[in-house]
Amino acid sequence: MEHSVTVELVDVTKYYENKCLFRNISKKLLPGECLTVTGPNGSGKSTLLKIISGLVKTSSGKINLRCNANRLISPCERAKYIGFVSPELVFYKSLTGYENIDFIAKASGMAALPEFIMASLQRVGLSGQAHEPVINYSTGMRQRLKFALLLVLNPPLWLLDEPSSNLDTAGKKLVADLIHKALTRSTSIILATNEAEEANYAHQKINLA
Amino acid sequence: MLNHRISNIITALAAVGVIYAVFFIVPPVEGLGEKVRIVFFHIPAAWISVMAFVLSALWALRYLNTHQIEYDRKSATAAGLGFFFCLLATISGALFAKITWGAYWNWDPRQTTIFILLLLYGASFALRTAIHDIDQRAKISSAYSLLSIVVMPFLVFVIPRYYSSLHPSPVINSAAKIAMDPVMLYTLIAALLVASALFRQLFIYYIERTRRRDLAQKDSPEGGGRL
Amino acid sequence: MHTKKLTWPNSAWAILYKDLLCEFRTRYALGTLTMFTLVTLSGISMTLAGAAISSSIAAMLLWIILFFCAMAGLARTFVYEQEAGTLFTLRLYANGQAVLAGKLLFNILLLQLVTALLIPLFLIFLNIEVHLWGQLVYVLFFGTVGVAAVATLTAFMVSCTNAKGSLFTVITFPLLLPQFLTAIAATEQILTDMIPSWNECFFLAGYDATVIAAASLLFDYLWYD
Repeated sequence: MEHSVTVELVDVTKYYENKCLFRNISKKLLPGECLTVTGPNGSGKSTLLKIISGLVKTSSGKINLRCNANRLISPCERAKYIGFVSPELVFYKSLTGYENIDFIAKASGMAALPEFIMASLQRVGLSGQAHEPVINYSTGMRQRLKFALLLVLNPPLWLLDEPSSNLDTAGKKLVADLIHKALTRSTSIILATNEAEEANYAHQKINLA
Repeated sequence: MLNHRISNIITALAAVGVIYAVFFIVPPVEGLGEKVRIVFFHIPAAWISVMAFVLSALWALRYLNTHQIEYDRKSATAAGLGFFFCLLATISGALFAKITWGAYWNWDPRQTTIFILLLLYGASFALRTAIHDIDQRAKISSAYSLLSIVVMPFLVFVIPRYYSSLHPSPVINSAAKIAMDPVMLYTLIAALLVASALFRQLFIYYIERTRRRDLAQKDSPEGGGRL
Repeated sequence: MHTKKLTWPNSAWAILYKDLLCEFRTRYALGTLTMFTLVTLSGISMTLAGAAISSSIAAMLLWIILFFCAMAGLARTFVYEQEAGTLFTLRLYANGQAVLAGKLLFNILLLQLVTALLIPLFLIFLNIEVHLWGQLVYVLFFGTVGVAAVATLTAFMVSCTNAKGSLFTVITFPLLLPQFLTAIAATEQILTDMIPSWNECFFLAGYDATVIAAASLLFDYLWYD
């Protein structure tokens, strides 16, 4: 991998409609480490991940993403360093799985080879449905497609929000494999989950009560 | 605040002075007679509505660069007051038009311009009220305010070319000569100053009020009262 | 390497291509807009019942139809992304300038297509003869580009609110007025076989350039938090 990303959370606080979600979270995540975020529903796990992705603003405090442990990454170039698997990540229904990945890669500023996209689709078990519109996909298949996108973009920071939701046993194993492999290639991973098994990857933990 | 109270009193006294001057010192004008007095309310109101528009855009720009909600509050307050003065200018202008030209409204270039200003103010309020999230609201209405100030010069350029105007030429006309009786001129300048001071006092008052309200909202949920 | 870097104009093309592809498969916007044009135009033509109208009224009607077509169709570029939930995906990965450029090109294309459809019908139904075609095309092109430019930015603003349809017209109209009045005046001259002055042609293009530049400067503030 060309780059690695260090994530620093500095006194991150978030209010939502005057309700305090979390307060003064400070953490530093190094490349190849996994940070798990746990907590009951509504505790702000997804919000914290969205804040790190730059889609949501903090109420106070800040997030520093550093490329190769020194240069600060500006908000406009964040997209190139981050991959986000989230329940809110929605694909274009009238486009096929292949077209979706091709388009999102191009929109984020990179052109992927067709074989590479197909290989990634095959890796997540969607090679048979690559040229079918996403509207015909089941929720589990859409979840798999998010991982195919992640493999194509190959970003140095993965944000995974409930990554194995809607997946069958084989799908869960696939996700576990992907996370394991990514960590050995010094990808930084931030994982919001309530599954005990996934929490085991953690080098560091945040528990939002 | 004691300071604010003192400047309130000074503004009020000055306003009384100007009103006295307008009604008892300024001589009736040839051709317009007593009707001329309405000008001393109309011009300052129009002036403030344009100034508030520019101020609102400047604060909008500062908000976008700093993301401090304080600037958005200023931008919104300036726009609110600007709307009020714009309404006053439109009404006083229509009255003046009626008594001098016989019709309240005839899409005179300046009437069109002020009407569009009124529309822009109205549109930005409609936009504001449709967004709930504070940061989102501030960001979007700031962008709208800046976009409208970019478009405004085009209006000033385009409108007078398509309609002939009955509106008296501006006080300081193109030859940069001041064609006005000195007493009237000084009264007008005083009226402009008083209107600006009035705007400033109202502005400070409303900023303080919204700031207090926002603070009260922010503190209350800590005590457990979340609703 | 399996991937190569793209510059933002390439990303803009990708966004335009995606929108065209979605539009081609659903045919939503073009279908609605075509029908909208036909309904308004036939409504006007029917009520006129063959009565001759002056060129100033014809010019005004033409631009009013175009304006309301734009209001009916252009908000969709961002609003459908927001409603389908794909705006999240787009904001996460896409470059702001690329999104603006792609969506702007899509809106310009859409509006040009509607104009190309409207003009022949308009001339036939209202029994108008045009001799200055070059000038008419110029005024229509630069007029609609301005409409599309303002509407693309306001459409994104509106997609972030909870009152979409009506608000879009309310916030777009005052911004478009200068362009609107100039375009009407120029079209009126063309319909009376007078060549519009350079001032007007320059104004239309200048307005477009200014609004596009302003939209480009402001869009990054809106796109990135």
